[in-house]
Amino acid sequence: MSVAEASTTAFAFEVAPAIAVLPLASFVIALFAGKYFPKKGALAGVTATGGSLLLSLWVMLTVAGGAYYNEEIYTLVSTPESFDLHFGVLLDPLSALMLVIVSLVSFLVHVFSLGYMNDEGERGLPRYYAGLGLFSFSMLAFVFADNLFMSFVFFELVGLCSWLLIGHWYREDAPPSAAKKAFLVTRFGDYFFLIGVVAVFATFGTATFAGSESFPVLAEEALTDGGAGGELSTFGLGAQTWFTVLGFLILGGVIGKSAQFPLHTWLPDAMEGPTPVSALIHAATMVAAGVYLVARMYGFYALSPTALAVIAFVGGFTALFAASMAVVKRDVKQVLAYSTISQYGYMMLGLGAGGYVAAVFHLMTHAFFKALLFLGAGAVIIAMHHRQDMWEMGGLREKLPVTYYTFLAGSLALAGIVPFAGFWSKDEVLYEALVHGLTDPLLLVAYLMGLIAVFFTGFYTFRMVLLTFHGEPRTHTARNPHLPGWNVKFPLVVLGILATVIGLTNMTPVAEATGLEIEFLHTWLEHGIEGLNSEHYGELLETVAGYSAAELSPLLAAALSLALALGGAGLAYSLYSGDRPDRHTDRLGDARTLLMNNYYQDEYQVWIAETFGTGVARLSDRFDQSIVDGAVNGVSSVSLFSGGRIRRIQTGIVSNYATLLTLGLVALLLVVGLTGGWFL
Amino acid sequence: MVAVQYYLLLSGAIFCIGLFGILTRRNALFFLMSVELMLNAANINLVAFSFQYGNLTGQVFSLFITALAAAEVAVGIGIILVLYRNFGDVDVTKATTLRW
Repeated sequence: MSVAEASTTAFAFEVAPAIAVLPLASFVIALFAGKYFPKKGALAGVTATGGSLLLSLWVMLTVAGGAYYNEEIYTLVSTPESFDLHFGVLLDPLSALMLVIVSLVSFLVHVFSLGYMNDEGERGLPRYYAGLGLFSFSMLAFVFADNLFMSFVFFELVGLCSWLLIGHWYREDAPPSAAKKAFLVTRFGDYFFLIGVVAVFATFGTATFAGSESFPVLAEEALTDGGAGGELSTFGLGAQTWFTVLGFLILGGVIGKSAQFPLHTWLPDAMEGPTPVSALIHAATMVAAGVYLVARMYGFYALSPTALAVIAFVGGFTALFAASMAVVKRDVKQVLAYSTISQYGYMMLGLGAGGYVAAVFHLMTHAFFKALLFLGAGAVIIAMHHRQDMWEMGGLREKLPVTYYTFLAGSLALAGIVPFAGFWSKDEVLYEALVHGLTDPLLLVAYLMGLIAVFFTGFYTFRMVLLTFHGEPRTHTARNPHLPGWNVKFPLVVLGILATVIGLTNMTPVAEATGLEIEFLHTWLEHGIEGLNSEHYGELLETVAGYSAAELSPLLAAALSLALALGGAGLAYSLYSGDRPDRHTDRLGDARTLLMNNYYQDEYQVWIAETFGTGVARLSDRFDQSIVDGAVNGVSSVSLFSGGRIRRIQTGIVSNYATLLTLGLVALLLVVGLTGGWFL
Repeated sequence: MVAVQYYLLLSGAIFCIGLFGILTRRNALFFLMSVELMLNAANINLVAFSFQYGNLTGQVFSLFITALAAAEVAVGIGIILVLYRNFGDVDVTKATTLRW
């Protein structure tokens, strides 16, 4: 394989596992020795993630040079006849890009934590930094995983870390409960993912992502060549139907982790965790994992138009659904939580609509501007002495200029205002959905939902900005905020700059209008291991999934979504820009109650869990008590009874034993004699 | 020369007498004597076959068995002494405390 040959020359790839191992080391150090360090493990974390960032950049440069890497590094179980379970490293443009994003955000979150946790005198800091280290480790290893099994392992580890970190303040009531909810809801999705992994192994005998023996390639051959499909066990279904089923099973895990409808309910509750953790979860690790998984195995999803349509529809619906709830929230972190759900909905819409590059682009820009917004919200929360209600804020603009301008940059990016990052990426997602939607009504509906969500996004984003930073201070705390230090401002400035300029890497409408070759991300993702690049995915979408794109200028779509975003922002401005804004959302009446209660999603899920869950649990309990325990107890009481009877032959009298011995010997002799034929 | 069958009949008879003694007697000393009878029945067998085949190995074995029987008697007498000390009798049916 030419890939493997090329890789031997690149030393960067040899040390690539260290990208994940460094945060693991910081986890160990923080856990066992954190309390002896001056910053309680923070320095180890900052150093480790900083090292990961440098290594990731090096890997990215090497990948940019045209070298790719796909190697097994550790075999867990190997069976020569069927399949093997191994850990490996897959470095191609997609994973290299994601490694940089994750390690950068993780690094900045570590720095920010110095201000948010250490300077605020929080307790349990070694545990906190250990959690951050393990979280970064799991996500980085998940990103360079070369097979679905390894992905699953680290997917689960990511979930575990989110449980640890969301429940960091375990002495209070809400965080442990939120942590349990996050863990259980995502586990529910992961259950399907687990079945999916096993089914992939059962079908293809392998779960590797790349190479000629990988499962997307085998699936593609089965569908295009026809003949090869007979070798795969598809459990009596047609090959494409079965691949769709597999896609849905894995999608279960994606929907849980990426907080898509209906498994999104854990994410707003996860706001109970420390704010830097929220930034990490939302921007780079946990929630991104789901979308990244779909992008990673896009060659497989591109084979199933049904799975793609469902992804697009769920994404579009989630984008609108979550955005509508963000409109009425009072808590600044809640607004951001729903915006995250909504933005990941856009990514799913992009993936489902065939816009692989667009979705990865939005994943990248969102990572930066959402990390920025959460860290900005964290800075505001520090300033407000840990109050999060936006109605208690106001007028923070003069006191916190750095926070304000960076937060504003993030908000403009989130709302999708030109030329900030979110505009370019969201616009491209919507453009892809539109051009493919013109030939497919389901995609068109998904596109329309995404388009309406743009308006909501503009509105709630600027409602948040205006309520937090503009107008007159509404409380005493807001008049005398606690000013944050350098360790808060530094990450904000870095991310603020990125959120402003990162969109310029892929300006599709401008490229279209001027004819310049400036779609750098498109070029970046077109390269890569054979069968694992956007060019190949495009072919698959056309030939296998039957997607066709309508001819349409991206300028038109861009103008439309920009107008909507500006409309939403303008509405927010007209309603909330005064010195003493009214609570306009109260006038929505019943609709507001419905939105404040999140469409009663939690209630109906609790109802389902209680009705069906308790029913099943009761049945299982009865089965356990009567049949399982009955069998065990029956065996024991029969033994006890018969033992009590049989022990009577133990008289303690030697003569009886001698008699039995003799009789036994005689009987044995008789049996041996009869069967041996002595008496014949 | 006496045919080997007669030796075997003799040894079988002695063995059965010993076995009968073990199964019926209650006195521990009779036990010990009966065991001696059974061992010596085996000895007769060994010597008889050794004589029959002109091979001395059997006779050597019988010497070993005699020595073993002597040792066994020493142990047995010791046990009987302890039995008497604990139960005031050498009746084996009285010593029944070593059960469930």
